[in-house]
Amino acid sequence: MPTTRKKLPRLAAIALPLIALLVAGCASQIPALYPPQDVTSQAATTRSLYDIVFLIGAIVFFFVEGLIVFAVLRYRRKPTDTELPPQIHGNNRIEVIWTVIPTAIVLFLFIISWQALNSVDAVTADPAVRVAAVAKRFSWNFLYLGSNGRPLFTTDAAGDGNFGELVVPVGVPIQVELYSPDVIHAFYVPKFLFKRDVVPGRTNEFDFTVDAQDVNQTFRGQCAELCGVGHAGMTFDVKAVSMADYQTWLQQQISQALASPPAAPSGSPAGGGGTPGGPSPSAGGAAGTSVQITAQNIAFTTTNVTAPAGQPFQIQFANNDPGTPHNVEIKNPDGSVAFKGAIVTGPTTTTYDVPALPAGTYPFQCTVHPTMTGTLTVK
Amino acid sequence: MATTALTPAATAYRSGLYDWVTTTDHKKIGILYVINSFLFFLIGGLFALGVRSQLVVPDNKLISPELYNQLFTMHASIMIFLFIIPMLAGFGNYIVPLMIGAPDMAFPRINALSFWMLPLAGIIMLSGFLTPGGAAAEGWTSYSPLAQRAYSGMGTDLWIVAVALIGTSSILGSVNFLVTIFKMRAPGMTMFRMPIMVWTVLVTSVLVLMATPVLTSGLIMLFIDRNYGGHFFDPATGGNAILWQNIFWFYSHPAVYIMILPAMGMISEILPVFSRKPLFGYKAFVFATAGIGALGFSVWAHHMFTTGAVYLPFFSFMTFLIAVPTGVKMFNWIATLYRGQLTFSTPLLFALGFLSMFLIGGIDGAFSAAVPVDFALHDTYWVVAHLHYVLFGGSVFGVMAGTYYWFPKMSGRKLNETLGKIQFVLMFIGFNMTFFPMHLLGLDGMPRRIAVYASTAGWSQLNLVATIGSIIIATSMLPFLWNVFITLRNGEPAGDDPWEGNTLEWATTSPPPPYNFDHLPPIRSERPVFDVRHGRVADHGSQA
Repeated sequence: MPTTRKKLPRLAAIALPLIALLVAGCASQIPALYPPQDVTSQAATTRSLYDIVFLIGAIVFFFVEGLIVFAVLRYRRKPTDTELPPQIHGNNRIEVIWTVIPTAIVLFLFIISWQALNSVDAVTADPAVRVAAVAKRFSWNFLYLGSNGRPLFTTDAAGDGNFGELVVPVGVPIQVELYSPDVIHAFYVPKFLFKRDVVPGRTNEFDFTVDAQDVNQTFRGQCAELCGVGHAGMTFDVKAVSMADYQTWLQQQISQALASPPAAPSGSPAGGGGTPGGPSPSAGGAAGTSVQITAQNIAFTTTNVTAPAGQPFQIQFANNDPGTPHNVEIKNPDGSVAFKGAIVTGPTTTTYDVPALPAGTYPFQCTVHPTMTGTLTVK
Repeated sequence: MATTALTPAATAYRSGLYDWVTTTDHKKIGILYVINSFLFFLIGGLFALGVRSQLVVPDNKLISPELYNQLFTMHASIMIFLFIIPMLAGFGNYIVPLMIGAPDMAFPRINALSFWMLPLAGIIMLSGFLTPGGAAAEGWTSYSPLAQRAYSGMGTDLWIVAVALIGTSSILGSVNFLVTIFKMRAPGMTMFRMPIMVWTVLVTSVLVLMATPVLTSGLIMLFIDRNYGGHFFDPATGGNAILWQNIFWFYSHPAVYIMILPAMGMISEILPVFSRKPLFGYKAFVFATAGIGALGFSVWAHHMFTTGAVYLPFFSFMTFLIAVPTGVKMFNWIATLYRGQLTFSTPLLFALGFLSMFLIGGIDGAFSAAVPVDFALHDTYWVVAHLHYVLFGGSVFGVMAGTYYWFPKMSGRKLNETLGKIQFVLMFIGFNMTFFPMHLLGLDGMPRRIAVYASTAGWSQLNLVATIGSIIIATSMLPFLWNVFITLRNGEPAGDDPWEGNTLEWATTSPPPPYNFDHLPPIRSERPVFDVRHGRVADHGSQA
């Protein structure tokens, strides 16, 4: 019968994905219908939610698909079917049932996913490690923040091997703040079962805690929001280490960062920067003293600058971040604003005329990006 | 048309091309829509093959990242704006006046205008490939700041103009549909006797009318940002990047329903005819359609869960809720089959394909509505799988079902059944091979819109399967095109009513004459032609 021939390919095609699923489950190399094994406490929550949604989804799939297949097999028109079948227009009772039951299911799913959300999305006030992740076309840079919210050390994306790797201790909450100087990116680590967009003009933050058993593993991360031609290559690694190893690593980084700049009183941009501006001391002695500050990759490349006390001076400010607004805001030791430079969008250079300041140590920062900080010594 | 006023000298112009270019007949315009949409379907499909051939092996260097980004952007833009939406508008154009017993659309010349804007828009959009920077390459979502001047070229300006034109065409079309449906129904065709297809076009038109102007204004703002230094969406100049997403998705989520509701309408016409039963729960179906339309406006931010800038529980709740009316429809369709007498002609096969594949797309939706799960799945290949199960498994299968179903009415000839079944089997297998593995790739962490992936990522085998599937899909179009070709040349004459249809389009000749009907049967139910065939005056709703 032609009718039997017709339905066979259909059944085969329905069975195909299921077979693929089973095959995928067996061959461990190929991804399966489950997300990868979770490695953070947040991901574990998401994973158990996924399991419930998947279970309900699978039951609904087999039930409804089964009804379709049953109807297709059972109710073929036979040559003897000359009379019309019963003309059923509806049935209120069954229609109420298949409205109410799905409503109950989706309410249940909503409630459990809301609960899971509250724990996945929770942000602690007291994280063990705070990191500012700067996503820039097409690279990642991770700045470790001190308790005052300033970077403990500054690494340059092109420089010292820190680039593209986030080293975190296991078992404690890590807080990540996300910054972008250009377009939207997304921080995505598949094994965290999590991603969060990096939106310019907006600071997103989230927490994660890597499970202690996953120590000394490296997790692949990747930008998940289309950001241009280099999107596919915008990868990074998250390396989970023990707390002791993390502390050793951190101290090493700090001492390296302190040792590596040429200790010039006013900064020259670190390697790869476009501005060749020489250190100012050679020009010293002219009418106005000039100090060079450069902003690049959402950080000041020089965090310690010196200016003479008791006389006005100029800041030559280079903003090397395309499309990103920066400035220099100098604060008095008591926290009030001593000087606030106009915000300029890079790449550009500008000159600030700073009034005379008494001798002392003044923190400065970018008004737009409070994580960008430095110290001005006036003497 | 005032043919009598033409002088004999004009007859040379009236033949063929001139007639089609100047026509205001809704049937000819509908056919133009359908042909135009199929052409863009083929173009968009070629772009998809380009994307798949780049991803067939890891670390592939076949297509540059610049071109790759243009290909997937134009694939989506063409499939959405120049294939699915106009295709459904085309079927609506052809079928709705016939179904409600009207002689034409309410505004025939506006109807022609709405159509002719589309090929123009398509040419403008594609001409981006000729500009120095290439076509738009920011994805069909065109997120700011990536879509700002600093990061994209003139192709994006052309894209904006084209989409705004298509939007204007949609708005004109929806006004036309609404007036036609409200004012031009035949005597006896009450609202609750209208075929479901007409209801879905009605709800779709309301969605278009409410959502499209929002997109258009967003596009104008983006154009100002790019060309005249606006400060709407660019944070570097004080704008807000998330604002664009809110505006864009306020249109583009309802657009998903614009793209699926009329296909659901087609299925709801086809299933009853081929099971010889009325649609189960007609009124519930109407309310479910309206419910999907209304809820469709409150779920847009589920595309933005990971931005950190939306109130998650509300949009999660509304997204879950929209599963309920969708589920009601699914059960109504299946109950229509139940105890019926099914004839497995090609339209029914594609309709069943719609049911079984759209079901997967719908279940996928529940995963995305669970916000923490969406954090994992968002912007991965899993989402690519989900949206294709809805828009290909749903809309495209619906469109193919509708094409086989109404082709006899449009041309007077029946498409070949054997070739139709070959096409269905190839398309069904190719579709599942292409898109099912994408679920697994996404779960394993493969982001969408990446031009290359490493051989160490473990994604090679499934990508190979997906690419083979896409070639099978492309192959499935060959028997279809051949079928259309031989049928138009030498097909089996269809007669007025080849399928024993229910609705009024089967009460006139194939193809129908200008102004559609010489006389109408009495309209006492939603199945007037059925009532005439079986000599019954239906008493709607009380038979069991």
